[in-house]
Amino acid sequence: MDPSISPTQTSRRSSLYRRHSQLGAEFHRFGEAIAVHHYASDEATQAQSLGLADLSTLPRVGFKGAGTPAWAEQCGVHLPHQPNWASEQPDGTLVARLSSSELLMIGDYSGHSPLIDRLAAADRPERVYPLPRADSHSWLALCGSHAADTLAKVCAVDLRPQHFENGQIAQTSLAKINAIILRSDIGNLTNYAIFSDSSSVEYLWDSLLDAMAEHRGSPVGLEALANNR
Amino acid sequence: MTVDNRLPSPFGTLIDRNQTVEFSFEKKTISGYAGDTVASALAANNQWLLSRSFKYHRPRGVLTMAGQDANSMVQLPSDPNALADRIDISPGLKVMGQNYSGSLTRDRNAVLGLVSRFLPVAFYYKAFFKPRGMWQKWAPFFRHRAGLGRIDQNYQADYHDKQYQFYDVAVVGGGPAGLAAALAAADSGASVLLVDENVRLGGSLNYARNDAEGTQSGRVRDALVARVKANAKIVAMSEATCNGWFSDNWLPIICRKRLYKVRAKQTILCVGAIEQPAIFHNNDLPGVMLGSAAQRLIKLYAVRPGQSAVVLTGNNDGYAVALDLIDAGVEVKAIVDLRDAPVYDAIAEHVSSLGISVKVGHAVYAAKRNASRLHLGSVDVRKIVDRGHCATESETINCDTLCMSVGYTPTYQLICQAGGRLSYDDDSAMFTLSDCPENCYTAGSVNGYWHLEDVISDAERAAIIATQALDVDRREVPSAVVHQQTQSPNHPWPIFAHPKGCEFVDFDEDLQIADIVNATRDGYQHIQLVKRYSTCGMGPSQGRHSALATARLVADATERTVAQTGVTTARPPFSAEHLAHSAGRSFYPARRSNMHYRHLESGAQMLQAGAWYRPAYYGQAPAREDCIQREVDNVRNNVGLIDVSTLGGIEVRGVDAGEFLNRFYTFGFLKQPVGRARYALLTNEAGVVIDDGVACRFGEQHYYVTATTGGADRVYQSMLKWNAQWRLDVDIANVTSAYAGVNIAGPNARKVLAKLCTDIDLSAAAFPYMGVREGTVAGIAARVIRVGFVGELGYEVHVPQHAGEALWDALINAGEDCAIAPFGVEAQRLLRLEKGHIIIGQDTDAMSNPTEVQMGWAVSKLKPFFVGGRTLQELGRLPLKRCLVGFVIDDPTAPIPLESHLVVDGDKMTGRVTSVNYSPTLGKPIGLAYVPPNCAETGGNFTIKSSGGVLVVATVVDLPFYDADNRRQEL
Repeated sequence: MDPSISPTQTSRRSSLYRRHSQLGAEFHRFGEAIAVHHYASDEATQAQSLGLADLSTLPRVGFKGAGTPAWAEQCGVHLPHQPNWASEQPDGTLVARLSSSELLMIGDYSGHSPLIDRLAAADRPERVYPLPRADSHSWLALCGSHAADTLAKVCAVDLRPQHFENGQIAQTSLAKINAIILRSDIGNLTNYAIFSDSSSVEYLWDSLLDAMAEHRGSPVGLEALANNR
Repeated sequence: MTVDNRLPSPFGTLIDRNQTVEFSFEKKTISGYAGDTVASALAANNQWLLSRSFKYHRPRGVLTMAGQDANSMVQLPSDPNALADRIDISPGLKVMGQNYSGSLTRDRNAVLGLVSRFLPVAFYYKAFFKPRGMWQKWAPFFRHRAGLGRIDQNYQADYHDKQYQFYDVAVVGGGPAGLAAALAAADSGASVLLVDENVRLGGSLNYARNDAEGTQSGRVRDALVARVKANAKIVAMSEATCNGWFSDNWLPIICRKRLYKVRAKQTILCVGAIEQPAIFHNNDLPGVMLGSAAQRLIKLYAVRPGQSAVVLTGNNDGYAVALDLIDAGVEVKAIVDLRDAPVYDAIAEHVSSLGISVKVGHAVYAAKRNASRLHLGSVDVRKIVDRGHCATESETINCDTLCMSVGYTPTYQLICQAGGRLSYDDDSAMFTLSDCPENCYTAGSVNGYWHLEDVISDAERAAIIATQALDVDRREVPSAVVHQQTQSPNHPWPIFAHPKGCEFVDFDEDLQIADIVNATRDGYQHIQLVKRYSTCGMGPSQGRHSALATARLVADATERTVAQTGVTTARPPFSAEHLAHSAGRSFYPARRSNMHYRHLESGAQMLQAGAWYRPAYYGQAPAREDCIQREVDNVRNNVGLIDVSTLGGIEVRGVDAGEFLNRFYTFGFLKQPVGRARYALLTNEAGVVIDDGVACRFGEQHYYVTATTGGADRVYQSMLKWNAQWRLDVDIANVTSAYAGVNIAGPNARKVLAKLCTDIDLSAAAFPYMGVREGTVAGIAARVIRVGFVGELGYEVHVPQHAGEALWDALINAGEDCAIAPFGVEAQRLLRLEKGHIIIGQDTDAMSNPTEVQMGWAVSKLKPFFVGGRTLQELGRLPLKRCLVGFVIDDPTAPIPLESHLVVDGDKMTGRVTSVNYSPTLGKPIGLAYVPPNCAETGGNFTIKSSGGVLVVATVVDLPFYDADNRRQEL
């Protein structure tokens, strides 16, 4: 982890970086990505209550096609048995099965994912097509005990922890835009990873913050999430 | 005005005597307590007149104290028709009466009541529609005099939002049945939502008397509420209205400024019953109120309903009201019991032992005004000699309060919305409900149970049935509760016609007995027709107090039973709701490219294309035209940069990728070489042009297809739809948002790009027009496409979305030596127009086929099939009906037409302009227009009807207007 740097020091920039800067964010390098380390001095309590983090610059990739499941298993991926579930791999990468033949692979909060690196470099057989999920979709994390209450204001799916298990996925509409919502708790911290159209991320960020205001939610950096691992 | 109607503690469970609140009514300062409603605070100050009635401007006051009637509607500064018995007072609140001319106490329009006989039911249908056109003259007169509150047209909407909620069981109604049902359901382990529209849980237990001592209600209420509050499985939502029932137990629940969209696996409707008024002469006078209204005033707000009262009753509840009045220090002059053989319960027995005058078999035949003519002064009591008829002998009893307890209707609205059936039981003279849908149950007084023990038992039984359906309850379902009451609380005919009328059936619309009866005599005998003809039940209270009486009157007039007559359909919403609740928080999805803020920093004026924000032009709005012309000039003579991230991007990959595109688009793609782009025109099955783009072949099995900004999602969905039929071995992925893109265009484009792109040979020979390459630009992985939309040497550079801003920065920096400048959508539109390129959706419409828009060259004649091909074959055999042609306007003095201006031939419209602008390159206005084929010949003229009807002569020219041999884009 590098000391504080500017988000424009890399070509890969979150569309939200100006908003983060305005909130006084301190950016750090996570692997090859630059993301918000923290805004305030101690965000652990905030994250436990209600926090929103922008992880859009962190690694993720998709693969799709009839040959994808077999190829992924050959590459050592432990696949979820059914669509709309995710499973954690030994290196911390989450593999989300979006359909019988589509996978979304998400790195952990360190910005490293040996599995993603390995698959990206691997030869792919016919009917395995990579998808640029790191760019097509933004990645936000909504965490804390009020996260489900917040989502209930913008999403019609019952995402309460007692009904939406850790590792479960909902592909649905969130504040009127398409989204993939994956419950991916961090230790004991309830957390929802939200992937949606990257060009709409500012809209979604603002919509979520608006919904969070009732519960005094606010943005948090990766430090607050990573500390719960 | 002194607070002489306020009762001491323990009356007034809702008010806080430690907090005095001052507000104004009719510009007079009124003092109340926190927890008071407008109506209760006014009543405490002896102000009973609240408003004026809709039609005859009659004085109206408290009727229900339950937010169920139109009599209590008042005007708030930004909220007309507010219910005075629902609105809490707050410091400085300004309240006015409604619908009067002059003052509330001296309403000039009250004279209308004197001529009511000339304004019979549906008078406006009969009297003011002839001769033809007369209604237009009368309408303003009536509409000025009839009405409710006034809307504030300057109202600024405040924050409302919505929230989804999910429960195993939703219990609607927080009275004894609702509390008991919620507890019984929660005992099974189910999650329970308890919804109650009142401030304080307990429903009628908060005000109604269930025993002579008057202690049982409070005791039971406190015990039930304590258990509910202690139960973690129950969420109790007060001041919340379930405003409808929709399929699968979807319940819209309004609570303050939020609409909760609740999904419940099971719903138990414990919605209670609505007390009904008696119908007699002047039954609408302030001072005449329901018995339950008097009880609410006393118990909830510590307000004495009057000084001396008469109770008109058809059941034993009236006797309980009498006891409450006595407790509140009101002199009860008499109890007028409509029943000729009442069966007393313990309360009635107790009252009869107190020495109060009880007039069995009597009715209140008429109410009379006091000296102010604004309040009740006395009642005319007579013996009932036949159903609805009284003896001529009368007794006048002076009183300022008349409490009516003559029966109830079940609160059937939600249940009927759910598909429940409303019937009428002649023996009990009551509506009954049945046929609730699956997973929806009713309990309590809505089921006709009136004894408190029966109500609770029925609710517990409903809860067990509901939770058994959830498979979480193993308790045995008790047998149906046997009614303890021996006599129905409903009197079968509390209706007494009077020679002078004014026996109001529907207070909202000032409808009297004769109005309902005359509607049937006018031939409208069906209850639905009576409603629409008379407007009965169409007012704000939606028939809550008129449906039963109307059904009885219509049944009687048409010689049918009430069951055969029925009631009108109950539709949501249950009660009036603000539009803001339906609107909620506004969601307007917006899409921005990764370069968005660079445009703003460069002074761009943004426009919205669908959800996308795009730079229209760079510079100040007043200098718009100069900015656009400058940007065009820079592209034509130097180099410009435009953000094209909004263009659709679709990956088509797989063994059959070429075959797929060959079927989907009009051109041929099977033989397209790798490394080349090809124009892709899309038609639908009707041969109509619906989109275009370029198909870039990056590999044998890999095409990257662009689509229009607005059409990308539609094209992608269409691709999926067609391949669901074709079953080709191909994968289709919408990657629009995955790529940011720019078009660097102009004679110096190559020079600038070459500084940043060293792994692609950019020379014309190595990378010709319509070539595609993969490499890096400024170190960013990029797809580079040589395109010519603006008619100059140009490269589209597509990079991963998150690197868009970095790419923009790099190109701007690299082009600094050449004075590179960004250009916006408006300049691009002019540049492409000069080049004669159409924009789908602007130069095409829902009928445009390729031939008539001069795109026949983009349609393969050799392919066996493509979407729309068969239709285009058939159209090709028919003569053209119109042609899209290029035109110039040579007359320098002529005004420049606008898009959509008509092409005319004398009086006939023959076409329209689709694109038009002044071309700095050509030095004259140019455009595209649909014209008849006989006007499409090059050099021919046609006429455009411009702004103000000015006729402008246009000359047809060949396309493109600029660089006809394409030398510039192929540099």
